[in-house]
Parts: sequence; structure tokens; C-alpha cells
Amino acid sequence: MDSRVLTITSGKGGVGKTTTTANLGTALAMQGKKVAVLDADIGLRNLDAVMGLENRIVYDLVDVVEGQCRLRQALIKDKRLPELYLLPAAQTRDKNAVNSIQMEQLCQQLRPDFDFVLIDSPAGIEQGFRNAIVGADEIIIVANPEMASVRDADRIIGLVEAAGKPEPRLILNRLRPEMVRRGDMMDVTDVLEVLGIDLLGIVPEDEMIIVAINKGEPIVYDKHSQAGRAFVSAAQRIMGEEIPLEELEDVPTLMERLRRLLGFGPAMAERRVRS
Amino acid sequence: MGVFSFIAGRKKPTPSEVAKERLKVVLAHDRLKMNPELLELIKADLLTAISRRLEVDDQQLQLHMAREDHWDKLHADVPIKRQKISFEWDPPAYTPAANALQGNKVKVEVERIEEE
Repeated sequence: MDSRVLTITSGKGGVGKTTTTANLGTALAMQGKKVAVLDADIGLRNLDAVMGLENRIVYDLVDVVEGQCRLRQALIKDKRLPELYLLPAAQTRDKNAVNSIQMEQLCQQLRPDFDFVLIDSPAGIEQGFRNAIVGADEIIIVANPEMASVRDADRIIGLVEAAGKPEPRLILNRLRPEMVRRGDMMDVTDVLEVLGIDLLGIVPEDEMIIVAINKGEPIVYDKHSQAGRAFVSAAQRIMGEEIPLEELEDVPTLMERLRRLLGFGPAMAERRVRS
Repeated sequence: MGVFSFIAGRKKPTPSEVAKERLKVVLAHDRLKMNPELLELIKADLLTAISRRLEVDDQQLQLHMAREDHWDKLHADVPIKRQKISFEWDPPAYTPAANALQGNKVKVEVERIEEE
């Protein structure tokens, strides 16, 4: 089977790696692919909770690597999708419990049974990150349109390149269209120009993501969520489909709606200044 | 340009423009491991090199890093003083009269042509 191992990483913490991994994995499985999602954040296990599988864990990644159990025993079957599996991180061990050679072997072990193996990388650029990318064919970088995140993403791009991996692709997460329109947040073009990598998807900020995590139900199941639809499109692009970037609806505030109604929109105001 | 045009500029930059400009500078430094001391050394080298040919204002010389079109670029703003200058010219080999001038340094006098 032609299997692909993809690592989701970011450098900076809190930008949405785990959410992205859970949703891309779920979306790929919804498209009929056999998918394993692997939590490489040893000591800080979270992917299980985002996917709503935290109650089913018996064995974890470190148990597999140390030979305490077989790989099949540690893989947790998803609640809804029959072809989606999770390999959880160990919670009571530290990130040095596994080395790069073991991680690479683990990826090789997973390949025959899955179309896609998605690895949720820990934040940072230390051993945990190196372990997460060592067995990967492709790297996906998650970044938010703010300075610290983009700066860290740039560091990661350099390290991925140095590791001999192909150029990573970007998921720009938590974009706020209304802030972009006001000129208060960098736009996709700004971030792409600065980083110089290809775009895999844009995911708008969506408070339903928190609701989805609270319920342990990835947002891709919610057809009305913009973020959910964005993750589905990104998954389709991973599969090689040509999906155009979706127009991000920008929900105007009451004041903005009033201003537009009266013809004092920001675009008009700007035009007046220029002439 | 960039950051400097904002200071002299007509319009206040938006926070997103500020972020982009700051990022370009900080990434260029990150990538080249360029620190201010190194930049000062390069400035001194540039001054030495340019001063052999032109009289420049060493107080006004500005250097900064930027990221443009997928390239890290070092921008130098070198204001040239408007006055007559002279320098030693070592004729290059491809000059037609090179044979005749071989080994001889030529004193060249240049006067900057003032624009109307």
C-alpha cells in the first residue's frame, strides 16, 4: 500500500497542532481513507481528548516502542469512523522515553496498514520535535497570523530543510477576517510572502472549535462551521484534489453594518483619502 | 524604505503592516544569524570600499536586512556628498588602452553634474 506519513508541527505551542491533527485525520477517514493519528507529545497527552477517546486508552506509544504490547493492542479505534485509529502518547513518561530510531521504526510498522499516518508533534525544537519528523514523508506547519507564531514557523522550516525533508506546507489557523479587513492582522498573502512556502489551507477563528473539543467531537462533523469546512478542504488537498480556497465570510459588527448601510464603508473611506 | 518610510511617511501604518515589516527584519536576522555588531563591521567595510571612489556621508549611511521575493537582502543607503572627488584608477585589463597604461595608476578627477 502506498502509505504517507505526515507530521503536523509548529514550533510555538498553542497554535492548533492537536486540533489540526484530529480534524485532518477525521476528515481523511471520512473520505474513506485508512488513517492512524499518532500523539508524539509524550508527557502531555491531548490528542485523545480532542478526539473524545480518552476513556479507551490501555496502552500507549511508549509501551509499543518498549515492547510491552503489540502495536495493534495500543491502537484505539475511533467511535464513529471504522478506518480511523489513534495511538496515544504516554502521560507518565518524559519526552526522552523514545528515540529517533524507535520513532522511525514505528512509522515503518504503521505504513502497511494505513493510507495516512498523521503525527501530532510537540511544541519546541528539541528531541520530541525531531522524533516527530524523523519518519515523515511530508511536514505540515500550523501557524497563526501573528509575529511569534510566524517567526517560530520560519525556524521550523529551516530545521525541516536541514533534516532533508521536502518543503513543508502551511495551514494558517485562527485567521480573523474582520481583523484582517481593519488592517489589524496579517493576511494570508503577508504570511506566505514572509515564509515562502506553499499553502495547504486557511482556517478561520471559530469559537465552535472549543465547543467541539469540549464534546470530544472534531469540528469537521459540523457542516455549518467554517473552520470545519476549511479542515475538510485541507484534507482533500492532501489527497491531491484541487480545491479552491474558500471565501471567508466576515461577520460584520453592528457598527460596521450601520456604516456600510450609510455608505461609509472602510473601502470608500480609503478611496476618499487617496484622491 | 519600509520602516523608514513610515517615519517620514504620510500615513500611519496599520498594525498588520507593522507586524509584516518587523517580521521581515527579525527573520532576516534569524536566518543569517546577523547581529548588530556584524552589521556595524560590514558598515565599516563598505565605507572603506566606497570611500576609495566616492566621498560619502558616513554619519548618514544606513544598513538594514529585509526579506523580499524569497531572498534575504541587505539594503544600504549611502548618501553621496555633492562635491568634486578624486581617486586612483587602476586600469582593468579589458580597457583598450590597457597596454599603454599597464601598471600605471591614473589620477581621475570627477565632478558631479548638478541636476537642473
